[in-house]
Amino acid sequence: MNRAARWLPVAVVAALVLATAFPFYWAVVSSLTPEARLFESPSLLPGELVLDHYRALFDERNFWVPIRNSLVVAGTTTLFCVTVGSLCAYALARLRFRFRGLVLGFILAVTMFPQISIVSPLYLLLRAIGLINTYPGLILPYMTFAMPLTVWLLVGFFRQLPAELEEAAMVDGASRMQAFREVILPLALPGLATTGILTFVYSWNEFLFALSFTLGPERQTVPVAIALFRGQYQVPWGQILAAAVVATAPVAALVLAFQRRIVQGLTAGAVKG
Amino acid sequence: MADRPGPAAGTAPPRGGAIEAREARLAWGLVLPALATVLLVALFPLAWTVWESLHLHDLRMPWLGRPFVGLGNYAEALGDPRFLQAMGHTLLFTVATVALELGLGLVLALALNRAYRGRGLVRAAVLIPWAIPTVVAALLWRFMFDAEAGIVNAVAMGAGFMDRPFVWFVEAGAAWVPVILSDVWKMTPFVALLLLAGLQNIDASLYEAARIDGASAWRQFRHVTLPLLKPAILVALIFRTLDAFRVFDLIYVLTGGGPGTSTEPIALYTFNSLLQNLRFGYGSALSVLVFLVTFGLALLYIRFLGADLLGGGE
Amino acid sequence: MPGRRSAGPSPVPPRHPRGRPAAPAAAVSAAAVSALCVAAVALAGCRAEAPGGPAVVTFPGSAVGAEAVVLRRQLERFMEARPDIRVISRPTPDAADQRHQLYVQWLNAGASTPDILQLDVVWTPEFAAAGWILPLDRFAPDTAAFFPATIAANRWDGTLFALPWFVDVGMLYWRTDLLDAAPRSFAEVERAVARHVGATAPPDTAGGPVPRYGFVWQGARYEGLVTVFQEIAGGFGGRILDERGRVAVDEEPAIRALTWMRDAVAGGAGPRVSPRTTLTWHEEEARFAFQNGQALLMRNWPYAVSLLATDPDSRVRGHFAIAPMPAAPGGEPTAALGGSQLAINARTEHPEAAWAVLEYLTRPEQMLERAALVGQYPTREVLYGEPELAEALGVDPAPVREIIARARPRPVSPVYTQLSEILQIRLHRALTGQAEPADALADAAREMRAFLRKVGLAPDGEGPDGG
Repeated sequence: MNRAARWLPVAVVAALVLATAFPFYWAVVSSLTPEARLFESPSLLPGELVLDHYRALFDERNFWVPIRNSLVVAGTTTLFCVTVGSLCAYALARLRFRFRGLVLGFILAVTMFPQISIVSPLYLLLRAIGLINTYPGLILPYMTFAMPLTVWLLVGFFRQLPAELEEAAMVDGASRMQAFREVILPLALPGLATTGILTFVYSWNEFLFALSFTLGPERQTVPVAIALFRGQYQVPWGQILAAAVVATAPVAALVLAFQRRIVQGLTAGAVKG
Repeated sequence: MADRPGPAAGTAPPRGGAIEAREARLAWGLVLPALATVLLVALFPLAWTVWESLHLHDLRMPWLGRPFVGLGNYAEALGDPRFLQAMGHTLLFTVATVALELGLGLVLALALNRAYRGRGLVRAAVLIPWAIPTVVAALLWRFMFDAEAGIVNAVAMGAGFMDRPFVWFVEAGAAWVPVILSDVWKMTPFVALLLLAGLQNIDASLYEAARIDGASAWRQFRHVTLPLLKPAILVALIFRTLDAFRVFDLIYVLTGGGPGTSTEPIALYTFNSLLQNLRFGYGSALSVLVFLVTFGLALLYIRFLGADLLGGGE
Repeated sequence: MPGRRSAGPSPVPPRHPRGRPAAPAAAVSAAAVSALCVAAVALAGCRAEAPGGPAVVTFPGSAVGAEAVVLRRQLERFMEARPDIRVISRPTPDAADQRHQLYVQWLNAGASTPDILQLDVVWTPEFAAAGWILPLDRFAPDTAAFFPATIAANRWDGTLFALPWFVDVGMLYWRTDLLDAAPRSFAEVERAVARHVGATAPPDTAGGPVPRYGFVWQGARYEGLVTVFQEIAGGFGGRILDERGRVAVDEEPAIRALTWMRDAVAGGAGPRVSPRTTLTWHEEEARFAFQNGQALLMRNWPYAVSLLATDPDSRVRGHFAIAPMPAAPGGEPTAALGGSQLAINARTEHPEAAWAVLEYLTRPEQMLERAALVGQYPTREVLYGEPELAEALGVDPAPVREIIARARPRPVSPVYTQLSEILQIRLHRALTGQAEPADALADAAREMRAFLRKVGLAPDGEGPDGG
């Protein structure tokens, strides 16, 4: 009984980890299996492994283009949001002013916005100013979820820092902004990094806006490119899975490298999933 | 960012101390760029959606013009069986996934809460499904449930559960299985981590006291863990509910809403009306309805947890 | 008091069907966007076009496979002949539904590129009615050389709007090693499947692989399903719209056709006439099944003929033939007319250059090359008398020509795609057992009628208002 109590959690964790990992294992194995064998009775253990699908992905399909698009869009969004958002979050966390609670509540409310509700006007707006199928035409809509997210997370991080630090600096004659720049920012660096990572991951994964506001492969991001692989030709499962592995790799690497931070950020801000 | 002029016109009148007024001015200067962005890209389009929803606006039929039709689109939606079914599908998806994710997430969180070696690694491993693009997750599951190449059919046939491949995606009921499983697979870790954070905040001495009183493990769970975990459960519940209600990517890729329209959620129907059929008036009305439901849920959220989350606001 | 209201909220006025949003909204947003995206704007897509150089026309085409190769080759030859014109190929998705969505978005956005559009046969009326493509009559194309049905499908209001590029018709592929003759009726289809598929099937003696599926077709919820339905409905004597444009899809023959299709995938005792997975299939999944010898019968377009006959991976080489689709008493073998058309964007900056490309790509020798490399059938009827075509295709084009000559265009309507979408959903529901065929078609007909009335295209009743 005691032994069962000790081993039960381990067994549960092991089972869940296996269930979590299996689809990845299967994707990797299948992405390395030749197309012809993919549709013969599948077996759990890999047979002959080849890199054909990866080669086709980058040579024929030029998968570098969506990767570049995703990097540009997610990167710019993240940089812009963390920069502007950190100022806003600092004010919300530390300064006293009227309507502070209201602003905070509003920003929180926007994180729960259904994206589909604003697709139509954004489409008409971007079309009117000629930004359909451009990078700004994606970055701008991405602000709708990225900006509230960064502000919300950063408010949490700034609040964790002791207020005495800036007060001490200000007693020494520093202005509010100097205190922010020279005392708070360096201390908040881990928080900024975490926020940046989460914003990047959300932007990298975004699908609805990218699907709606791009028109062709030249501006499609990774998720859209993968989802639209299916064409007139046979569903190219080998290449799709290879692309899935490629799209997963960067976020998986980020998660593995920064898992402690990410968990902190997620649970502290309790952001949307 | 330097090109954005600060709000020169002070919003707060210099009442009280001059320092406070200066601080308020500074605060607005800092808040405004982000706030303006959010207003511009989220609130302004929302107002536009409402306006658009009052018109007949079909981009594919430019010869119809763009007449004002009042609430006509809303009336059409409420009489549109496809819309009502899509709402039903969304509800089904939400209830099924949220229940499973909370249940499994709680089990996983309790298991993870014991200290053992390699916990960080396990945490990272379960976090990966959460972090990958939903589109990718959907494709992985679509492949596993493929009638011909899918491992699910292969295993089921190997074990003698079926004698010929079962075509999951043409059965109105069975098509939900991969849909719900993939969401549970992807989002349970997130729920578990939220709950784990809640568990770790529970004071260990409470268990100590309960054990001294001779409480069984079940009673400890029932009377110590659950009540103290309630806020975390509520947060997870509401985040997942809001999120599940907006489901789009997953079903777009997995079933496309099929067979027929039997797995079509409201976001997908709205998307199809807007960008497939380019019926902007009608699609906008659907968007507004989705927004109202989500907003209602969000209000509940803020009401229940507002004090916690906006803490120190006043 | 107009002066006081000048700064008031001015909602978007319904000024012009294709108008822009009202000035204030646009100005506010433009200003805001420029302020926000200072950094990002530099990254916006910029069009490279040297002033004074050759006229640049863009052509959206397939990005992969043999089709892309042929197109590239032909465009290169064209540019050698016409150094004053440069053609840029722009990759687009192959799936028709996706391409349609993309085109509508481009054209709606008022884009002047792509200059040339590759249209599915049912899109021409829609794009013409919307004013998105140029009338071609002023270029005086030699329409007499083409199949009359393909030209008719590209006219709207008596004006030619697109040039047929290659032609598609639905037809029945059958296994010559197993069957003595193509099944000509649906009852013969059932009998053939019962004899040759499943556990009771006799072992094959002629050397071809034994099929495990009977009759495979395109049953996924997309445009292809509507074409298959149109053909089978025609076989029972039914149709989607009648000659006056009235919805006829809920009439008895159409219901019988859908019931037959539903029973084919539902199956009772014994092997199914059609496998259930055909309800997730498009053209290529069906082709692969037939090519691997897994299917006894297939409905598909002509492109598969040369692939099946010449592909080294094909396991049915020399073991198959084509025939018209089956028919029941009271109906006749029906082939849906498909294929690709070339049209010119109404906003193009280079209409003459675009026409030159169109004219070049639809020449007989280019069509023959397409036939040889991609297996697509020419739209010029005269070519079918020439030995070059048989040589290019590797098979005798006469049976296909016969089917083309009798092909039936799908309903010519500017709202065809909307009608088709209504029908797709109802058909798929009936086929997957969620509704009875009669109910599904009754619902479809009701929705289609309501839609036509709403957009002012109902043939009887209100009639079109405000063209």
